[in-house]
Amino acid sequence: MGGSYCYDGSFAGLLTLLARLLPQHITPDTISIDPLPQQSLFTDVTVVAADELQAEALWDELEQCLTPSCLKLVTRVFLADRPERELLICRYLLLAWQVGKKIGGMLAHPDVEPLWKLSQQVGREAHRYLGFVRFQEVRGGFYYAAIAPDHRILPLIAHHFAARFRDQQWVIHDTRHGQGIIHDRLRREWLILPMTAHAAPNLTGTEELFQELWRRYFKTLAIAERKNLRLQQGKVPLKVRPWLVEFT
Amino acid sequence: MAVATPLMDKLEILAEGAKYDVSCASSGSFRRNRDGIGNAASCGICHSWTSDGRCVSLLKVLMTNSCIYDCAYCINRRSNDVRRVMLTPAEVAELTIGFYRRNYIEGLFLSTGVVRSPDYTMELLIAAVRTLRQEYRFNGYIHLKLVPGADPLLVREAGLIADRVSVNLELPTREGLALLAPDKSRDAVVAPMQQVNRLIAVNRGERRESRKVPRFVPAGQSTQLIVGATDESDRQIVTLSEQLYRRLDLKRVYYSAFIPVVADTRLPDRPTSPLRREHRLYQADWLLRYYGFSAHELLDDRMPNLESDLDPKTGWALRHLDLFPVEVNRVDYETLLRIPGIGVRSAQRIIWARRQGHLAIDELAKLGVVMKRARYFVTARGRYAGECALESSDLRSRLVTGPVPKKASQLELPLFQPLVGDEAAGLISGEL
Ligand code: SF4
Repeated sequence: MGGSYCYDGSFAGLLTLLARLLPQHITPDTISIDPLPQQSLFTDVTVVAADELQAEALWDELEQCLTPSCLKLVTRVFLADRPERELLICRYLLLAWQVGKKIGGMLAHPDVEPLWKLSQQVGREAHRYLGFVRFQEVRGGFYYAAIAPDHRILPLIAHHFAARFRDQQWVIHDTRHGQGIIHDRLRREWLILPMTAHAAPNLTGTEELFQELWRRYFKTLAIAERKNLRLQQGKVPLKVRPWLVEFT
Repeated sequence: MAVATPLMDKLEILAEGAKYDVSCASSGSFRRNRDGIGNAASCGICHSWTSDGRCVSLLKVLMTNSCIYDCAYCINRRSNDVRRVMLTPAEVAELTIGFYRRNYIEGLFLSTGVVRSPDYTMELLIAAVRTLRQEYRFNGYIHLKLVPGADPLLVREAGLIADRVSVNLELPTREGLALLAPDKSRDAVVAPMQQVNRLIAVNRGERRESRKVPRFVPAGQSTQLIVGATDESDRQIVTLSEQLYRRLDLKRVYYSAFIPVVADTRLPDRPTSPLRREHRLYQADWLLRYYGFSAHELLDDRMPNLESDLDPKTGWALRHLDLFPVEVNRVDYETLLRIPGIGVRSAQRIIWARRQGHLAIDELAKLGVVMKRARYFVTARGRYAGECALESSDLRSRLVTGPVPKKASQLELPLFQPLVGDEAAGLISGEL
């Protein structure tokens, strides 16, 4: 039992690893991502290479024996930027392997609760970013937004923005995780690609006007008699403000 | 920038005039984006929060702050000495689209003072919305104010292009309205509400026959009541809300604590804790809409006002101690909802979780139950975890909320639950 495992960081890679662990009921001590952390050079680490076929086979099997909402928990948690995410997924699926669909109601179980909580955190952050994305009109005819979310939420928000701004050429750049969604207006499709920060975007004249209009509007809205900065800070944490026009 | 500055000033003045209108929810509509811009999401999305902690979701603005009427509580009243400006329908559309494309807003909330006549004003509002829908092919959310006294044909037209419409009742009683808004009759305010309600029902029937029939006011209608400007009791207010929900099928009633913006001898001085009262009314409103309570259970002759130190559900439970404690593993959903500290979400989770086996008392907190309150009213597998017995005279004092407002986490917007998803404004949410 136990042991240390290592995979390539992709979802298929994790599934390949799990395809090996689940049938044998192995609960690993650690699961890490290539390249190996220093100290593990001296321990016995099993490296598992991603195998699309095995990954797909396992996923099909999981789809058979679990409800869609259980699988959603797993995919959500995989997007979490937390070192423990793989172990949480592994422990959850080990339990699911034994009890099947019943796991859906076992919210208070120690192997379920932390996963469920984390998945809620990811979902909640994704929902908040539906509001927190701020597009800037850049010379050259597209809209650019930079965000720095805690978790890798782009896959969870892409669909919303693609449906809403389908006649618009836009990019949402997750600067913390170095990825971005690129939406192509003509082909009406979007892609998530690795993306690095570049020079400050070259804004259009209208952009600056609208930013100023928005700032003034936002300031006017507040009702002085009801001032409640604590509530505001709970809703708009300081860490997201550098990306919000109205707070800059 | 020569053209820009006046627009900037106008926006500031007209936002100032609209900001006391509290309705912010942009949820409950669903408009697909075929080939234009925008869609209306069915669960509300907040884009920012102002320094008073209210959610910003819509561009909330007046078409004009000129008004031929003279309502005592209103900053735009004829006799108030303020600068008067007006946006053109084209400017409203341009601002909305500019903000929307940058993802600042979910849509538009367009209200107005009354210029020339109700019909003329209503036509201006409709022109702005028509520009958005037709020229810009805008499918985002639009909340349109109906002008009391406008022609029924205009009301009908407004309902076909907006997602939600509203007429503000403002004052809970006929007498209050006569005193503070002498130019508006109760009937002129209620007539369009009744018309909209009828048209929604007709539209529902037609859409059952054919899906091709366009929706009429898909997000329903709402209204707002000013609380504390006249001296009605909470009982009068909550009973009125109940009627509005039951008889006119309103989607929301908003309560706005009266804040004096203009001096008037007919108006009271600043009331003592208007926000606390407003908050309690929202909680009572939630109990009506989602928890199966009736107004007369919450308030009656002996208790005409909500207690300010207890939420209304806990207050109700304390008056009905003979019904408690209940066994969470046995009672039905409706009963779960009546337990203080258990909300819609936690009740659903309990139902769901207990299918897999009996719940123990220490598992309840993990399901989102607020044990601080619930512990006195439940047993789980026969165990009681209250720190004092139900009969104890201590109980009430243990349950009263201190001066500190509720934790932010309890006011959290529930995700992916359209039913309660429109409680976007932090302050006004009231889950119990
Ligand atoms: S009609 Fe409306 S805008 Fe005019 S004074 Fe009355 S409340 Fe104010």
